[in-house]
Amino acid sequence: MTDSELDRVYTRLCKTMTELGEANAPLFLARFALLAMEQIGNAQASLDLIDAAREGMAMPQ
Amino acid sequence: MSTAFKPYPFEARQYDAHLPELVDGRETARHAVTIVGGGPVGLAIALGLAKHGVRSVLIEADESVCYGSRAICISRRSLEIIERLGALDGFLAKGLPWTGGRSFYRHDEVLHFTMPQDENQKLPPMVNLAQYHIEQFLLDAAERHAGLIEIRWRTRVTAVQHDAHGATLTLATPAGEYEARTDWLVAADGGRSLVRDALGLKLAGTSYEGRYVIVDILLDSARPTERLAYFDPASNPGSTVLVHKQPDNVWRIDYQLRDGEDADEAVKPENVMPRVQSLLDMMGETAPWSPIWITIYKANALTLERYRHGRALFAGDAAHLVPIFGVRGANSGIDDADNLAWKLAWVAQGRADERLLDSYSDERVFAAHENLSYGTKSTEFMAPPSFAFELMRNAVLSLALKHPGVRSLINPRQTSAIAYTASPLNAVSDTLASGPAPGAVLPECPLSIVDSGSKNKGYLTDLVGPRLTAFYFSADGSVPPAVEALEAAFAARDVPFALVPLAQHEPADVARRCGWDHTGRLFPMYGATAGTLYLVRPDGHVLGRWQGNDGMLAQRALDAVDHALHA
Repeated sequence: MTDSELDRVYTRLCKTMTELGEANAPLFLARFALLAMEQIGNAQASLDLIDAAREGMAMPQ
Repeated sequence: MSTAFKPYPFEARQYDAHLPELVDGRETARHAVTIVGGGPVGLAIALGLAKHGVRSVLIEADESVCYGSRAICISRRSLEIIERLGALDGFLAKGLPWTGGRSFYRHDEVLHFTMPQDENQKLPPMVNLAQYHIEQFLLDAAERHAGLIEIRWRTRVTAVQHDAHGATLTLATPAGEYEARTDWLVAADGGRSLVRDALGLKLAGTSYEGRYVIVDILLDSARPTERLAYFDPASNPGSTVLVHKQPDNVWRIDYQLRDGEDADEAVKPENVMPRVQSLLDMMGETAPWSPIWITIYKANALTLERYRHGRALFAGDAAHLVPIFGVRGANSGIDDADNLAWKLAWVAQGRADERLLDSYSDERVFAAHENLSYGTKSTEFMAPPSFAFELMRNAVLSLALKHPGVRSLINPRQTSAIAYTASPLNAVSDTLASGPAPGAVLPECPLSIVDSGSKNKGYLTDLVGPRLTAFYFSADGSVPPAVEALEAAFAARDVPFALVPLAQHEPADVARRCGWDHTGRLFPMYGATAGTLYLVRPDGHVLGRWQGNDGMLAQRALDAVDHALHA
């Protein structure tokens, strides 16, 4: 994926989420994550991505 | 920190209003070209016209160059244009060159970007200097063409009547009011263009809600010139801050206001000073400083649908407003000026059909859409227009340290020359292995410029002037008779033209000024072999390029120009 392709995908994701509204955003992102996992088709790769996304995020107080 | 404001370290010359020769309140002379607006764009158009020998009158409402630093980043492409206008020296002597920048998220550096820079370049990718410097250096150059550029200071346009043959302007000055008539009217009168309003035209596009406070301060610091962006910094949590260095110890600081913050309150010195102080503390800047200027900015992404309306032509902010992020405002205006000047000159001189001016609109509206698309992406990152853009930006910034693949999303997408890929002027050309296609600008390359009895180090862009240029690539700088005949053919058409041979080997015997590819990089960069011809416009964009039989090359070059000027 080139930089400008990444730009395009990123902007589309932001605009789609804006249309759906903030309340729908977690479910939308969850559905996107699930579809991405299916597309990746590799359990270890997906587990690594879960850890990478989790890293540096604080636990709720 | 001291709340006492200091002035900019610059004193502008003041000019008086003058009235021309009038009969019954109307100027006796009718002008070929009248330019409204003496900012960087208006001055660049007047200079460009003068380079083609066309006289213009420039109408400026103020009594001096602008107040305030305003546009501060001038791109390599703009510098190339400014060099052709004869004003480069001041820009390089005063401007601070830079090549990149760094972005921080909280405490971490998450992006270090560089703009294109290599050993082929003559000019830096960007220089910083205040808009009053930009205008002053262009004005100095304009004053060297006093016979061709007449500036009317303290003169305000109050009404415009526009018809098929030109326009009549009503002008107000402290010395009195008068009417002036012109064949062509160029509106370079800025974002609140009076000419645009008078013609009933409106900009269309998007206005963004996110607001930035813009502060210029005086601070003595040895910090290098680069673009600094701080996202969610400890000094100003939740905000975004940009820092740019200008000459003479002036620093530009932009910071984003939080949603719901009151703009009038936010620009009060007592609210600005502590934020600037905490930023400087975080940066480790300890020298005393003073504020110079505070204002507020909201991003706009707007353009007119067309830039030619009969005898009126729009350029710069009068034609389009692009967001500041990516520094495409003044730079795109200077490109407008460069595109318009040669076309308007040749139409005014009767060398080209006035439809050539429609291509000004086609090409620069296309460029504005490109600039708006990049500027919009930068703005969506710098001033997120919805919760979603903000959420995704937090994701990018927090992942960027460990995941380099997402860093390009933080890049400010700085301005770059735009190729007119779909221009109606582009000639059907041959496909070459590399090099600029029709509509693109010339990539820079060092070469030796060989003339009768002299040999000097130079660059390819040094060979472009206020004329069409045919670059003929050959082994030793010799030119076949069929290609040489182009000189007579263009002279017969009254089209300013130069034939410039580019030689692979050092030319032994030169009949005319030519370039020698002493580095061996030029030919491969242009996909050229002996017998390649590039035809280049006065603004440095490629009109067409061909490879092959001499007679065919010459014919295609002539056809391309006939099509561009008269089709």
